Amino acid sequence: MGNVACAEGAIAGGCEFAAGYPITPASEIGHTLAKRLPEVDGYFLQTEDEISAICAAIGASWTGKRVFVPTSGPGISLMLENIGFAVGIETPCVLVNVQRGGPTTGAPSMGLQGDMVQPRRGSHGEYEIVALCPSSPQEMFDHTAQAFNLAERYRTPVFVMADAFIGHMREEVTIPEADEIEITYRKIPEEGTDLSKIKVFLDEDVAPMPIFGRGFKSHVTSSCHDEHGNRNLIDPTALDNFIQRLRNKILKHRDEIVQVESDYDGCELVLVAYGAVARCAKEAVRVARSKGMPVGYLRVITAWPFPDREVRDLSERVKKILVLENNAGQYYPYVRASAAERAEVAFLPPEILGQVHRLEYVVEKIEEMIQ
Amino acid sequence: MSSVQHPLRKYLRPSVEATTFCPGCGDGTVLQCILRAIDELGMIMDDFVFVSGIGCAAWIISPNFNADVLHTTHGRPIAFATGIKLSLPEKKVMVVSGDGDLTAIGGNHLIHAARRNIEMVVICANNGIYGMTGGQVAPTTPREARTITTPHGSLENTFDISPMVQAAGATYVARWTTHQPRQLTKSIKKAIQKKGFAFVEVISQCPVQFGAKTGAGGAVEMLEMYRERSISVKKAGEMSPQEIEDKIVTGEFVDTVKPELCEEVARLKKKVRGKG
Amino acid sequence: MSKVYILREACKGVVDCGICIYVCPKDILGKSDALNRKGFFPPEVVDEDACTLCENCMIFCPDMAIVVQKRKEKRAAR
Repeated sequence: MGNVACAEGAIAGGCEFAAGYPITPASEIGHTLAKRLPEVDGYFLQTEDEISAICAAIGASWTGKRVFVPTSGPGISLMLENIGFAVGIETPCVLVNVQRGGPTTGAPSMGLQGDMVQPRRGSHGEYEIVALCPSSPQEMFDHTAQAFNLAERYRTPVFVMADAFIGHMREEVTIPEADEIEITYRKIPEEGTDLSKIKVFLDEDVAPMPIFGRGFKSHVTSSCHDEHGNRNLIDPTALDNFIQRLRNKILKHRDEIVQVESDYDGCELVLVAYGAVARCAKEAVRVARSKGMPVGYLRVITAWPFPDREVRDLSERVKKILVLENNAGQYYPYVRASAAERAEVAFLPPEILGQVHRLEYVVEKIEEMIQ
Repeated sequence: MSSVQHPLRKYLRPSVEATTFCPGCGDGTVLQCILRAIDELGMIMDDFVFVSGIGCAAWIISPNFNADVLHTTHGRPIAFATGIKLSLPEKKVMVVSGDGDLTAIGGNHLIHAARRNIEMVVICANNGIYGMTGGQVAPTTPREARTITTPHGSLENTFDISPMVQAAGATYVARWTTHQPRQLTKSIKKAIQKKGFAFVEVISQCPVQFGAKTGAGGAVEMLEMYRERSISVKKAGEMSPQEIEDKIVTGEFVDTVKPELCEEVARLKKKVRGKG
Repeated sequence: MSKVYILREACKGVVDCGICIYVCPKDILGKSDALNRKGFFPPEVVDEDACTLCENCMIFCPDMAIVVQKRKEKRAAR
């Protein structure tokens, strides 16, 4: 199933340490890792709560390990403070949110794309994040493996935003040979480097990470700090520097990070969707096209950083955009803002929240909008 | 005499000129005891990774210690240290933090790390109050004490931290006060050499918040109070609960041996990989 | 013979701290009348000959502002 593919993707992506707490509908990822990680000289630690899971992972990352934390929405809610910590001290780590029905305990086994803005805005303060949206068990594998490289390359937490449908869905997954899988490692300073002479934090082009145990005598603090990890809570420019450098580290490289899949040349109406709903959107477009309607799609693969350029380009070439999400409109406002007045942007939730849109329902809506 | 240096100065970051502790703060004495323990063991700072949370005691190691230092979010240093130790078992991991950080918000992590018996030294500087944020009540503040969040007097009972950690499964637990730096240093040395979860609680004076708010007085008065109220674990064992109610029981509570988590993990991996 | 060095600029003062004076078993320290740059009154050695090298002051000081060293007696070469 998707969750198992996700765990295998982590292992293929070089995961060495994972930590997690049981939570429906993500638990199978942990079960698979508990069994498989020791086989590849790694370890899965079931912690006393989600908070210690992300903390243990961050600690392990600071020793140079590739780390992984699978959970669901309520777990991410608990982890947010320390996800912010990982952002602030620039720690590579991969998180998976197998989203479930919320708010609160809600419906653990039902899919809902209910936490889409949580990675972006859930932790306090001003920051950027990277998040991928798999649409199939195959992508659970591929995106998870890829997430490790993104995390290492940009020294950031990276989210894989699945949901109960994708997590528990069973489909064929092709696992490439190990030598076909690209593994990117974080940069580390040369042994014996004097850290006071180089940037080890807050470099927009990503500073080398002065991991523990190498004699770097790194000072790593959650307080606002400078390029050398020295705390600075006093100078007015210190906080501005701290925020802007961290944001720009992601935004400056958005072209290398952002991925969309699209087919909308000559179309009047374009469906925008991600994750499980994108499967329905794509199929609806195929059906509508077979009836002669000029409709296309744009599948968002990287939800964050937001594909502003891609949405703006889209809004300049089509008349209408229909955003489909299995929620009450979380990603939609961002699409609408990027499209501004260039195209009409509408939102279509499923008839029943927590269920992927019915195909016929979407096709009817397309027909309505084309007229 | 600018050429004279404190013998432990070499373990501090060159850029650090002074500590940020209030005058008379016991945490400074704890700082020295930790460094003295490391020095007397013939170890170097690179043998360690230090982790601290949030609060005055967390500033013992950050930014002062010239070593790998992780200054984490409030209450979580033990959780981070767990990940570090499991991944870098050849280094000594030492957590230095305060009573609020380790037993209030961080209580759960303390209990479970002790239960797991993961090799780690945890030094809890217990000043009975939340000092850094202005003197709020802590789980260790005496009943009836007037703090800034208990202006009419605290209604709650306090934690007896060391026995609690012992009950959770730690293999070394000791408590001293900042009036006993030599014994404290000796315990820290033992804790460092322990192949298991080692916990050292230090009752440490906070004259500026605790002393001022509860009327306990300045640094010297509080140290004198520690001296008067301290009794040994052995002596306490012969006294009734009423007799020891206002005493500070100091000494070693437990010093034993149990399977340690990192060793068990290594063994498990070997076993699993041996099969494949 | 001992030598007690007060690192005056590291000290946070006898008035608010004064731990060294409290822990000295031989009362060799007293309050100096000269402020340091931070505005504190460090201690000063008032009776060095009485020092027994117990190192209490050095060990207790929260600011590592006292150093006790055995004075090296150098015999003149003959």
